[in-house]
Amino acid sequence: MSQMTAVNDQGGFWSFLRSQLRPRGKILTPFNVISVPIILLGLGILVVRFTKGLGSVTNLSQEYPWGFWIGFDVVTGVAFAGGAYTITFAVYIMRMEKYHPIVRATVLNGLLAYVFYAGALALDLGRPWNIINPIIGNDFGFNSVLFLVSWHFLLYMLTELLEFSPVVAEWLGARRARRILSSLTLAAVIFGVTLSSLHQSGLGALYLMAKPKIHPLWYSEFIPIFFLVSSIFAGLSMIIFEGTISHRVFKDQIDPKKHGSFDDIVIGLAKGAAIAMFVYYFFRSLIFLHDKQWTLVRGGWGAWYLLEIIGLVLIPCFMYAYGVRHRHIGIIRVASILTLLGIVMNRLNISVIAYNWNAAVRYYPSWQEIVVTMMVVSAEIWVFRWIVFRMPVLREAHELPSEKQEKTVRPPVAASL
Amino acid sequence: METYSYVNIFETKGLEYLLLMCFLVLLIYFVRYLREPGGKE
Repeated sequence: MSQMTAVNDQGGFWSFLRSQLRPRGKILTPFNVISVPIILLGLGILVVRFTKGLGSVTNLSQEYPWGFWIGFDVVTGVAFAGGAYTITFAVYIMRMEKYHPIVRATVLNGLLAYVFYAGALALDLGRPWNIINPIIGNDFGFNSVLFLVSWHFLLYMLTELLEFSPVVAEWLGARRARRILSSLTLAAVIFGVTLSSLHQSGLGALYLMAKPKIHPLWYSEFIPIFFLVSSIFAGLSMIIFEGTISHRVFKDQIDPKKHGSFDDIVIGLAKGAAIAMFVYYFFRSLIFLHDKQWTLVRGGWGAWYLLEIIGLVLIPCFMYAYGVRHRHIGIIRVASILTLLGIVMNRLNISVIAYNWNAAVRYYPSWQEIVVTMMVVSAEIWVFRWIVFRMPVLREAHELPSEKQEKTVRPPVAASL
Repeated sequence: METYSYVNIFETKGLEYLLLMCFLVLLIYFVRYLREPGGKE
């Protein structure tokens, strides 16, 4: 039964929505059993955070105003969402149709990452109601990097929503709305790629003024470029990792033909990631040489730096290359996990671990900060799963009625769009 | 107190040129390695 008929039979938008909100599949799954208590505990902590202030649940202080929520949720989460602009650029601008089957899932992932991870920024504001200030230009430095980043987050969320909107229109059986929204996709992609390249580097630029605070092995005037280039392979690795899980969890949703083509897609993504990592490694080596950082490599910080650069950039880069050449999907999957760990380590090094590295009192995230982060990740997965089970994200788009049919049997939802 | 130290760009220039040339040569080989099929076709 098509979606449109389903909408029509149930006589209206609200009954359709009610039917869609009902849980589907097994309730007592391992993920649900783990994630529900985390989400409930996280919500409880957030109540305390918003009633008693940041200091009641976090270890943040005047010396460490930005902690785990910024370092992991925002800075790392946005890098992981880089796959959306990379893939939409490849498909809609470079016309690489091979990657079309993963566009919807990738854009949805990117959209949810921004909504949840960038949205987690609000948790870290001492006066969260002031979050509107950069948008309305109230008492805000127009040439500050944070001004750019906040505007870009907002605009990019709207752009990704526009890129994903044809899927929602399809779900609602709104043929005309889908046609109009689909015609806007190319413009949205161009705008989205521009925004992404600027705010991915902008996130790095936030740390430019922290030169005396960041360990010299991680500080560079080129942090914005490092952030931009690393967001490319972070995003591609995230697609490989997330796609591998999705193809197991949502295997009923995927056309069997697509299962076969997914291996080719993974190899193509791995190739892109390998080249981006190779270039990134060269950039880092050049800065290492230019700043004569070999004098800093001795000791614990040096070993930590080498673990990041060699263990979690160069080695996964060669693993990707080996996996591509020998069509070894297993090695590519392991490389994607190592790469993601490398991105987490790099972003946390700059924002938390190597930040105020020589301070007498160090910052460690409280258990509440970690639980809230786990809550944000779990909630994002819940919403992703809800959408994938209901909307044509992984499965083939269902046939929408022709315009003639639409005039005669017009669903109330379509009429309202 | 913030102390800015300006790096003498000529001090490491020779090494940087060398690294750049190595990178460009290696990039060509790396891309060729990725494009050619391996043994397990």
